[in-house]
Amino acid sequence: MTPAQCPRCGSDGSTADFRGVDDGETVWTIWRCNDCCFSWRDSEPASAIDRKLRAGEFALDISDPGRFPVVLQPSNFQK
Amino acid sequence: MERADGNLRSNLAERARGVGSLRDFLELLEEHGQAVRWSDRVMPEPDLRNIAVAASRDVNNAPAIIFDNIAGYPGKRTVVGVHGSWDNIALLLGQPKGTTIREMFFDIAGRWGDASAQISRVSEGQAPVHECRHEENINLYDILPVYRINEYDGGFYLAKASVASRDPLEPDDFGKQNVGIYRLQIQGPDRFSLMTIPAHDMGRQILAAEREGVPLKVAVMLGNHPGVALFAATPIGYDESEYAYASAMMGAPIRLTNSGNGIDILADSEIVIEAELVLGERVFEGPFGEFPGSYSGVRRAPVFKVTAVSHRQNPIFENIYIGRGWTEHDTLIGLHTSAPIYAQLRQTFPEVTAVNALYQHGLTGIIAVKNRMAGFAKSVALRALGTPHGLMYLKNLIMVDADIDPFDLNQVMWALSTRTRADDIIVLPNMAMVPIDPAAVTPGKGHHLIIDATSYLPPDPVGEAHLVSPPTGPEIEELGKRIRQMQRGDVR
Repeated sequence: MTPAQCPRCGSDGSTADFRGVDDGETVWTIWRCNDCCFSWRDSEPASAIDRKLRAGEFALDISDPGRFPVVLQPSNFQK
Repeated sequence: MERADGNLRSNLAERARGVGSLRDFLELLEEHGQAVRWSDRVMPEPDLRNIAVAASRDVNNAPAIIFDNIAGYPGKRTVVGVHGSWDNIALLLGQPKGTTIREMFFDIAGRWGDASAQISRVSEGQAPVHECRHEENINLYDILPVYRINEYDGGFYLAKASVASRDPLEPDDFGKQNVGIYRLQIQGPDRFSLMTIPAHDMGRQILAAEREGVPLKVAVMLGNHPGVALFAATPIGYDESEYAYASAMMGAPIRLTNSGNGIDILADSEIVIEAELVLGERVFEGPFGEFPGSYSGVRRAPVFKVTAVSHRQNPIFENIYIGRGWTEHDTLIGLHTSAPIYAQLRQTFPEVTAVNALYQHGLTGIIAVKNRMAGFAKSVALRALGTPHGLMYLKNLIMVDADIDPFDLNQVMWALSTRTRADDIIVLPNMAMVPIDPAAVTPGKGHHLIIDATSYLPPDPVGEAHLVSPPTGPEIEELGKRIRQMQRGDVR
């Protein structure tokens, strides 16, 4: 399958994790962004998974990962 | 409301004590019209969310909803709203539908320290949770009919999972096993992230495992005994067993077995996911629509690798709708947020008569107290802020007299309207506060607001107004019951 673009961060690197099948027919696919960890199902409403329609405050820019808080900072953690 | 005669009450109490699993409880709920089956075909999004939200608008009476025809998940079942209404909570406690929140509060408060635990063990071969087992090529999506709970969640969440673990440094200590509800985001076929903070038991265990470089194994239980789901969210001491506590509070036996990775788990749960912490790794987690009705931010959270999954035949995946209230989260944890604060306060101040911390996990609390002297209620309020839950959650506190029922907001508003003076308000700025308070300028810090709406006592100047004292007590309550019976046509 052609990797889908992440609706949240715009990355082109994604992995198909699972296909939902009814009576031998694929009805949806779950994708996961390899960069920002967003997961989505391609049957969801466009407001959630169409990057052009998705609310701007829920877009994600991960070019500076250091700005995201780390939960339970491990002692050997590499930023 | 069900007619609550003596026989019904004792039958209900016996039935509740006989509940040993989610399936038992769903059967009980169905008998009382409190669980329905949704067999029309639904899409995972947005249908499951929409139906769950529509149900949760009826906080008193909403049924659990069992879905068994979800597009792309043939043969799989999911249930929401098991603890989603006060009537469902009442049935779990062995009380009739229509039991008031106040009655349930005192029922729970009265169970504290009142009973002993009944824990029994069954072998793995006899445990229903191990009927089916997967140890290779695990794909969580192939087992769990997940869906996006709120539209902008960062992924697919297990939001009603009880996570069991042993202390990584003292793995043989039964008491130091932890069972807690943490939000889990699926991060690929066989990985999930877990959100916690250092103050939580799981946070302590993750930090300890990473500091010492030792494994941390967990067992994620889904579709659990409804009493454990109710009580595992209650803050208790680190070395107290949540299983023993839940059994004692329910007055009912709990069956445990071993998970494949050596952790005590509920023998009758629907599904258990066994996993191990990936030491030192963090992945993007969130946002997630949380109980204040707002999304948490994106953080980098610990991640676990799944090692095996066990489940009952034809398992039921239980999840919750959580977001802007009221939701199942509020009915699930509301009374068990209130009761510990009440019990802890009464150790110092037996004058406390009731605590209502139902609102957004206690971001607002209402405490009723017998006012011994002018200003007394303010000291009780400051003590409440020193309880384990009050420290991080009791943001707004309203203090009322003992003649006010804190669960009756009309009475609370009367007290606010008639008994508050502007100089009876205290604001404590820059205090510790739960980081997901949406009002926070700096997450993790916030204010505590105390509104003293108790009456004036000498040496306060009281003014010339004297209170009306309408008739109260058993006679008035009986008259009220008679009026309701007349309305229903039971009595002419």
